[in-house]
Amino acid sequence: MALKERPKPFLLPEYCKGCGRCIDACAKGCITAGHQINPLTGLVPVELDLTSCNACGLCMDACPEPYGLRPAHEGPIPKFELEDPAKLYGVKPSDAPEPQDVPSVVLPLPRTEPLVIKGTYASAIGAILAGCRHVYGYPITPSTEGAELMAKFLPKLDGTFLQAVSEVAAVNMMYGTAGAGLPTMTFTSSPGFSLMLEGVSYMIGSELPGVFVDVMRGGPGLGNIAPEQSDIKLACHGLGHGNTQALVLAPSTPQEMLDLTILAFELSFKYRNPVVILSDGYLGQMTGKVQLPETMLKPGVPKWAVYGDALHRKNLISSIFLTETDLEAHNVHLNAKYEAMKVEVRSESFRCEDADVILIACNTPARTAKGAVQELRHQGIKAGLFRPITLWPFPIEALKAALQGAERLVVVEASAGQLENEVRLALSKAGVRDYPELESVRRMGGILPQQDEILAQVLGKKEVLA
Amino acid sequence: MSKASVIYDKFDRHSHAQGLKGHATHYCPGCGHGLAHKFLAEAIDELGVQDRTVAISPVGCSVFLYYYFDVGNSQAAHGRASVVALGHKFANPDSVVISYQGDGDLASIGLAETIATAQLGAPITVIFINNAIYGMTGGQMAPTTLMGQTATTCPTGRSQFNGQPMKMAEIIAGLDGPIYVERVALFDAKQRVKAKKAIRKALRNQVEGRGYSFIEVLAECPTHLKMSPEETESWVKDFMEPVFPLGVKKDVTVEPWFHRNPPSFEGGKILQLAGASYEHPVRHCEGFPRHLAPSDISLKLAGSGGDGAQTAAMLIARSGINEGFDATHIPSYGPESRGGTSYADVHVAEEEVLNPGSPDPQILIAFNAPSLAKFGPTVRKGGTVIYDCSVVSDAPLLDPSIKVFPVPFTGIATDLGKAVVKNIVALGALQAATGIFPKETFLDAIRVALKDKCALIPLNEEAFAWGIKSVEALRP
Repeated sequence: MALKERPKPFLLPEYCKGCGRCIDACAKGCITAGHQINPLTGLVPVELDLTSCNACGLCMDACPEPYGLRPAHEGPIPKFELEDPAKLYGVKPSDAPEPQDVPSVVLPLPRTEPLVIKGTYASAIGAILAGCRHVYGYPITPSTEGAELMAKFLPKLDGTFLQAVSEVAAVNMMYGTAGAGLPTMTFTSSPGFSLMLEGVSYMIGSELPGVFVDVMRGGPGLGNIAPEQSDIKLACHGLGHGNTQALVLAPSTPQEMLDLTILAFELSFKYRNPVVILSDGYLGQMTGKVQLPETMLKPGVPKWAVYGDALHRKNLISSIFLTETDLEAHNVHLNAKYEAMKVEVRSESFRCEDADVILIACNTPARTAKGAVQELRHQGIKAGLFRPITLWPFPIEALKAALQGAERLVVVEASAGQLENEVRLALSKAGVRDYPELESVRRMGGILPQQDEILAQVLGKKEVLA
Repeated sequence: MSKASVIYDKFDRHSHAQGLKGHATHYCPGCGHGLAHKFLAEAIDELGVQDRTVAISPVGCSVFLYYYFDVGNSQAAHGRASVVALGHKFANPDSVVISYQGDGDLASIGLAETIATAQLGAPITVIFINNAIYGMTGGQMAPTTLMGQTATTCPTGRSQFNGQPMKMAEIIAGLDGPIYVERVALFDAKQRVKAKKAIRKALRNQVEGRGYSFIEVLAECPTHLKMSPEETESWVKDFMEPVFPLGVKKDVTVEPWFHRNPPSFEGGKILQLAGASYEHPVRHCEGFPRHLAPSDISLKLAGSGGDGAQTAAMLIARSGINEGFDATHIPSYGPESRGGTSYADVHVAEEEVLNPGSPDPQILIAFNAPSLAKFGPTVRKGGTVIYDCSVVSDAPLLDPSIKVFPVPFTGIATDLGKAVVKNIVALGALQAATGIFPKETFLDAIRVALKDKCALIPLNEEAFAWGIKSVEALRP
């Protein structure tokens, strides 16, 4: 039997940290602790005397450094100066190909009669039509029905629904699936969304898409499970640590729960950023008419993804930028993206053209406000409704247009002024100084503003109009 | 042993590969991570899964795992690597996902994720580096710090007031989900051979789709133990090993089970699941029931859980939509809906429902006395109240303009042999009392709702007819 020739070790001292694991490993005593500080590293590399070396290889097994002790036959006799191993061993760059997009496909969907379903179901079906087959969640009232429907439907579509151990786990499962380049979402409600914010910040930092349906409930703390617009501030200005922003969509009907969920997936991939759908407890539970679209999406795999295949091996999903200038550049890039998102503003102006009194409301309170507008018009008062559909970015240009000629502005909301603050901030940033004093109709704690309360606010000051 | 081909030829992500950083790791002399990386890289090489591998870098000293591994890389938040791994694994079941975590990450902040992922048992590979100290943050107490061992956050030594060290391999092996759990060490050549073998087996278990594997590696951290590399090796052997005994903790043979089909994108299947109908519903109404309201009718149905108020409400909304109107239904939900009161607000509007709540309904259907007492007084003048006179003996005094219809919902339903159809009796009564929609509108909605339980349709039709008859009998 011919003996296989075994190589002896060699070492570039620059790549030895002097840990000495190889010293014990060598039965022949060829390796000793060094005595001289290497000028390049400031460390003390081991010293080799290979006179008695029998090339057993154990020293190389013991070396933790990839470019530490290596078989000598891989290269020429080392010169004891800093040299690029590529020069010593020949260049062998990674054979990972340049990542490519696997394109999405739009598929036709047969026309059907409207469904009669609740808001959370509409959102779940919207997600399925947007190509989402990976849903992670933790049950929380009043959003749970969305997760329940996904748990029922997704296995039949060979998709995945996992009930996570917590919201923290759920958002990080989303991080994984989003990192693999696939559409993913969750249903949650206010306290659960709070718990997810760490992950949302990571997703924004790592530029990952994902859709969060937050069916808002009363807070703070445990609060209650009745509807409140409690998370407007959180979604618009508090998405975890760092310079974070996400598109925030506010539906007001079950139909919009479906439409805006589909839109949310599209935008989330367009900008590689999470999108938040702020619903409210009423809207999540409310059953209504929902017309399905005429197309659906079969998602591909974007070129930036870490899908776990040869085509995407080169990629890295990370939010770490250790060098300050790198992180600053990343923040500049993210902020440019947030600026670009401003073209996505959406709003509805209902009878604002000639309105003296403009109500501003979103979600379920916007429906009530619309009812109030009709009643006020019936009573001869020129009222209108401005309904922001994107809460961030705020549709300021549309608001400015709606405000033309308005004498009164009434913000109708189920929170302590969270929507009003968005309005004020948007007006201020747009340099609008001359607008009527903001009036408000606010309820909290799970009570929505009622039409008669809006009427009382508007009519109580009727004389101002004259 | 030559460098595994899974290790990058140049560490471009390590400070842009400046100077020595292009070929040297960021680990301190004597650190255990370098060897664990090497064994993992060799295992990926040997199994030929480099293209399919996704390595999850955690928070801790191994946060920069992605500097070195020429595989798909994903960097996770502190403690969350195992669930990020699940997100990758379920996105692409063919991928080979490695969650590489330190003791702070896996055994402290991520404990819930660690345990839940292990118990789920999906085939991923977890490499757990236990060095009994926090490295990256600078020598604080770890969940695995030994009793008496000093750290910056237990400067006089870990005492009972800091709790006992977590024996993760034993904890994980105690769960049903994992198939293979072993604790290995790096302090001598024999241990290194075992460590390498264990890591390879843990990876193979995943590649073969068999299940979750967990390898705990007792590693050295000379910097924060404030010892020389050699002393640290002895310390691991003499002090760590007695607390964290080496060896296989669990190894069960499981047939490959993790087979997942690619997701379906068949439109027809989705529409079927959603219950979408291709058939245009037949309309029976002449127009909007203006005799009740000009453009928006508000109803409330109230009872206790199990009365079927929500189903009846849903059928009214569906009937309205089938007639081409808009309709909404809001249920009461939450704790009170579990056996307590259950009520539903319904609106039917000619164009668009604007106020979906019904604080002052035009029509009330009450299934019990408390509901009637609570909501009866909220009914608008000229409205309609229908209640179950089988269970309500004394009706409250309501505004004389309100039309009141006592109908024995429960009595009729019980006579028909199924108490649960009392809500359908109530719908029949609603139809007869208000004429909100024609009979056929309701019957169509009932038949569609029962399309998977056809046998129940005749009973429900009968219940509906009895509801109508009862109201007609009340009329002079």
